[in-house]
Amino acid sequence: MMKRKNRLLMVVAVTFLFVTLSACGNGQKNSKDSSEKTTITFWTAPNPTQLKYWKKMAANFEKANKNIKVEVSQMKESPSSEATIQSAVASKTAPTLSENINRSFAAQLADSKAILPFNKEDTFSKIVTNRKMTESIKNWQFSDKNQYVLPLYSNPILFGWRLDVLSELGYSEPPKTYSELLELGKKLKAKYPNKVLWAKADGDLADPTAWMRWFDFFPLYDAASGGANFIENNKLVADDKAGKAVFNLMSDLQKDKLLLTSKSTDPFENKVSVMIDLGPWTFPNWKEKYPELKFGENYTVTTPVVPDAMKDKAEISTYADAKGIVLYAQASDQEQAAAMKFLDFVFGDEKNDLAFLETTSLIPARDDATENPTFAKYFEENPEMEVYAENVKNAVPAMDNAEYNDLQQILGEKGWVPVVRGESKPDTAWKDMKNALKGALQ
Amino acid sequence: MKKQNNKLGWLFTSPYLLFTLIFFALPLGWSLWLAVTDWNMMSPTIRFVGIQNFVAALYNPAVQSAFFVTYKFLLLFVPLAVAMSMGIALLVNGLPKLKGLYMVAFFLPYLSSGVVTSLIVKGLLSYNGAFNTFLRAKLGLDIDWLGNPTTAIFVVSFMIAWKMSGYYGLILISGLSSINTEIYEAAELDGSSRWTTFWRITFPMLYPSLFTVLILAVGISFGIFTEVYQLTGGGPNFATNTWQMEIYNQAFVNLKSGYASAIALISSVVTFASIGVIRKLLEKWGERNGWS
Repeated sequence: MMKRKNRLLMVVAVTFLFVTLSACGNGQKNSKDSSEKTTITFWTAPNPTQLKYWKKMAANFEKANKNIKVEVSQMKESPSSEATIQSAVASKTAPTLSENINRSFAAQLADSKAILPFNKEDTFSKIVTNRKMTESIKNWQFSDKNQYVLPLYSNPILFGWRLDVLSELGYSEPPKTYSELLELGKKLKAKYPNKVLWAKADGDLADPTAWMRWFDFFPLYDAASGGANFIENNKLVADDKAGKAVFNLMSDLQKDKLLLTSKSTDPFENKVSVMIDLGPWTFPNWKEKYPELKFGENYTVTTPVVPDAMKDKAEISTYADAKGIVLYAQASDQEQAAAMKFLDFVFGDEKNDLAFLETTSLIPARDDATENPTFAKYFEENPEMEVYAENVKNAVPAMDNAEYNDLQQILGEKGWVPVVRGESKPDTAWKDMKNALKGALQ
Repeated sequence: MKKQNNKLGWLFTSPYLLFTLIFFALPLGWSLWLAVTDWNMMSPTIRFVGIQNFVAALYNPAVQSAFFVTYKFLLLFVPLAVAMSMGIALLVNGLPKLKGLYMVAFFLPYLSSGVVTSLIVKGLLSYNGAFNTFLRAKLGLDIDWLGNPTTAIFVVSFMIAWKMSGYYGLILISGLSSINTEIYEAAELDGSSRWTTFWRITFPMLYPSLFTVLILAVGISFGIFTEVYQLTGGGPNFATNTWQMEIYNQAFVNLKSGYASAIALISSVVTFASIGVIRKLLEKWGERNGWS
């Protein structure tokens, strides 16, 4: 009797164990199902508008391609979207495709052989031509001459200016050069001692966190250097003249107390600062939270300020907050073919890019957005977005280096932050940063 | 019969053992293995690097700062939390009625989300927030609370102490209520002042509760993450960079799983050793006061 009881308990325990462990398994499936339908999975950015767009694209595609199913889901943001992809690759549960990948993270994935080069796929050149992105995709080529990312959007980082404050200081348009900016700063401090020229929207200018440099150092560096590479083929190739000019400008601004290094709430919107680095994703938020901000009336958007010698340069480069789609190496040949068919469908029709722009307020990575009549009505209604679209061709994406986080952290800690805090002279900081970067790149 | 009972014992403890195996032993083994490789969990090649990750971690200024910053937090947060929770416990214990209601009120911050409270503090201390605007306008003070190494660590410590003091106060109240009132009556008859009564009677008699509070607070000091992540990101200049912050950055930002595992293992050793030493010191203090 006791023996039977023990056996019964053992059976219960084993069943419990299996039920528990089975819950740990993943139910993901991206292959052929019983009805010969190929299923591919697509992870979108952790952003509801992007999820909405891709679900609509998948539904439209499935209507025209009955034998392919596209499962769209949002990638998890916790602990970070990169870590979510890392654990998916590690556990062999990566999707077929995912968006939200910048060039630097793609370099990390490519280095780990987790993604495939698009240029080896037959449909790739057709997609690039149809989507009119032959110019802008040149900036996306990796050091090994492959294209691992199909650019989805490219948001040039521009600078917003408070026209109302500028007008109070006697200006009808924002300054274009470093000297003009410093001159404006002097007038600003004389009239409003508590205001500054530049304060960041998210975080502060003296934060050494790696990604912060995409929105302060790189726009200025790209503008001053004409879009020159900073690190290429694992070598520091930074334009010394441009880099030192940027550091000198920041040092001058710091000395004149024109930078805010403490955290502040919506400094530009609340007129604490006169200028701010801006991405196009800001405007939908402004429409809800700050409806009084009107483009052309109390604010405008321009390319970054440049050294005085570049005053008459027509095309100014800047950093591109650009992300795209990658194809994961874990996908089978059949899934890869289905994925390319899906991308060809989405990017083959410019109306889909218009829908993307309308849904997400992110600038599609195409060369012709400002000339293409499909987008004309949208830009007429949203003139601030047109400025961004005009600058896509001059926008330089992130470096293609797998160690980008460490490298940009060094850039912040050894170079940018000491200058912004007034703890180091520009030339010394530039030299220290270069030495530290060279050491890290060895 | 004895054998059968053993089986039953194993059976009933199996859920716990299974839990420990899955969520402690296996991850620990995995972490130990990861720490001796340079694997990022994605690459098809895994290179054995021996103790290289541990050596690199010990030479990393960010890891060194995490080591010292944790002790700075310990020295600031633990006394702050004990003082605040003791204050709450004495205040609430002295109330004639509605003790429960007041205790719940002090306990509420403990239930609040660290993310939410961090965002509130961030807003309060922002350059253009009411507090700083007042300081600038009325006192001419322009303080970068989260950008100055000294104030940043104090703000984070104070915030966590505020959050935890209601919970610790609850433990201390139970200790206070277990002290025999006759001892206080005797002290009063002997003419003992309130100050002397507190230090000579209440404080030593609270030892079991204080022991618990101190050990919990020391443990918290080694695990600070949310507040630092939200408020300072470990800055300025690593002034608030904790072990957890560094592990998070290496594991989930830089995706260096092996290196992050090595730092996690070093931090575990430091944490266990530190708590062990503090526990021994507390036990000695207890023995001196007649608690053994």
